[in-house]
Amino acid sequence: MGTDLLERRAVISGVGQSAIGRRVERSGLQLTLDAVLAAVEDAGLTLDDIDGLAMFPGGGAANLPGYANGNLYEVQDALRITTTWRQGIIEGMALPFYGPAMAVATGQARHVVVWRTVKEGSAARAAGGRPAYGAGKPVAEGPLAWLLPIGMLSPVCQVAPYAARYMHEYGVTREQLAWIPVTQRAHAALNPDAVYRSALTVDDYLAARMISTPMCLYDCDVPADGATAIVVSAAGTAPALRAPVRIEAMAGVVEGRPSWEQWEDMGRVGHGAARAMWARTGLRPGDVDVAQLYDGFTIEAVWWLEAMGFCGTGEAGAFVEGGERIALDGELPLNTWGGQLSGGRLHAAFGHTAEAVRQLRGEAGARQVRGAEVAAVTNVGGLEAGAALLTRWN
Amino acid sequence: MDATPGIPPAVTEETGPFWAAAREGRLVVEQCASCGAESFPPRGICRSCRGRTMVHAEITGRGTVYSLTVNHQRWLPGLQVPYAIVLVEFPGHPGVRVAGRLRGCPPEEAAIGMTVDIGFEPGPGGFAIPSFVAAP
Ligand SMILES: [Zn+2]
Repeated sequence: MGTDLLERRAVISGVGQSAIGRRVERSGLQLTLDAVLAAVEDAGLTLDDIDGLAMFPGGGAANLPGYANGNLYEVQDALRITTTWRQGIIEGMALPFYGPAMAVATGQARHVVVWRTVKEGSAARAAGGRPAYGAGKPVAEGPLAWLLPIGMLSPVCQVAPYAARYMHEYGVTREQLAWIPVTQRAHAALNPDAVYRSALTVDDYLAARMISTPMCLYDCDVPADGATAIVVSAAGTAPALRAPVRIEAMAGVVEGRPSWEQWEDMGRVGHGAARAMWARTGLRPGDVDVAQLYDGFTIEAVWWLEAMGFCGTGEAGAFVEGGERIALDGELPLNTWGGQLSGGRLHAAFGHTAEAVRQLRGEAGARQVRGAEVAAVTNVGGLEAGAALLTRWN
Repeated sequence: MDATPGIPPAVTEETGPFWAAAREGRLVVEQCASCGAESFPPRGICRSCRGRTMVHAEITGRGTVYSLTVNHQRWLPGLQVPYAIVLVEFPGHPGVRVAGRLRGCPPEEAAIGMTVDIGFEPGPGGFAIPSFVAAP
C-alpha cells in the first residue's frame, strides 16, 4: 500500500456537463462537445493538451434506444485531437476514470477525456414511456436471449428480483427504502441541473405506480438527455491544473456470475469490489465525508451502502430510515446532486464522479457538504462493479 | 394459448438444443461428460471442471422460486400485464437457475420459496418459452 499504487499517479483534473434534462434539443454529438469543452476548461487545460480519448459505451453497444451517443471517431475528428491512447468500452469499465487513470499512470497519455452521453430522455418520450430493450434489433442476443423472450424487457425487470430477494432475506420494507429517493430528491432541489427538483414524500413514494415489483416509479432512475465529460491527468502535471482531485484507491473486481439473472446471492452485491478497494487504502468507511453511490435503482444504492461497509449487510433499511444519516448534514450525505433517481440517468457513475469532484473542491454550491475531504464513488454492482475513494488535493 | 409478445432469442450452437427441447416441453441443461456437473445457460464448456464434452440432461423435478418480480409496465404493444417472472432453482441441480413466466396462480400470489412445475408456453417468434406452473 502507498504511493506506488497505480491510481496515485493519476488525478481527476476536470469535469464538465452539457445541459441536462428530460429532453434537450441537441444531438448527442453537440451535447458531447459541450461537456468535453467544459471539462477541459475546468481542468485548466486546452484541447492541445489532450492526448487521450475514451468513452462509454464504445461501438454500437446496447439494445436500448438513446443509450449510446457521442461517437469517439466523430468527437476526435471534430476536435482535431491526436491521441496516443484511446478506449471505447462496452464491458469492463468499472469506473469512468479507471481506464484513463491506467493510461496516464503508465505514460500512454498525459491528459485523457472520457465521456458518456445519453439521449434516453428523448427516446423515452418517442416511445411513449421508458423504452424496452429490443427496439433496435429484432432478436435477443447473448445474455439478453434468456431475458427478453420471457418478458424481462427492461433493466427494471432485471434488477427487481434483487430487491425482492434482499427485502425477503433481511426483512427490509418499502417504507424504509423510500427514504433513499425521498432524501435524494431533497438534494436535487438544491441542484439547478437536476431533472426533478420538486419535493417528494414517503407518501408520494408509497402511492406511486409499480413498474416491476417491488420497484415503483421512484425506485427507477430518470431517463435523461445529457453529457458528462471527465478529464484524467498524470499526477505529475498537477502544478499546471486548476483544481485536481486525488484518486486515493480504486478497484473493479467482479466476483460471481456476471449475469443479471444468474448472480448467486442477490442479497449481496458489490462486496468484492468494495473489499478490494479498501485493501488499497488506510482510510476506513468512517472517514468518508460524502458518498456518490450508483443508483440506477434504489436497491443499487442499498448494495453499495452495505458493500462499502457504511452499514452492515441487511441493515441499510434501518440506516436510511428517516433520512437523517444520508442528508446533507448527516453522517453520510448520499448522492448530493440528487443521484440518477432525481438528477437524471447520466449513467455509469459519470454524474456521481462529477459530483464527487465538485464536493471535494468546495464547488457544489447550495448542496455543498461542509469540509468534504473524502468522497466515495461506486458504479453498478453486479456484472459490472467499481468502487473508489477520491480525496481533496490539499 | 396466444403467443406472448416479446423479442425472440437468437439461436446459437450452444443454445439450439435448449430451444429445440423447449418446443417439446422439456427443460434441458448441459451436463459435463467428465465430471457430471450441470451448467446453465449452456456455454459449451463445463463451469465446474472446464471439460469441453457436454451432453444434454433433462430436468424433470419440481423447482423452487429463488426470486421474482411482477411486471406492471406495458413495455411493448399488446403485452398483457401484470405478469410474474420467476427465477427457479432445482433441488439436486446446483448451478442451474432458469428464468421464466409463472402461471397457475394470480401474479400477486407469486412468492419466494414457492414450488413450481416445469412448463413452457408459446412465446415470441414461434419459440416456446419457460413458463413455470404454480404447484397445487
Ligand atoms: Zn465438468
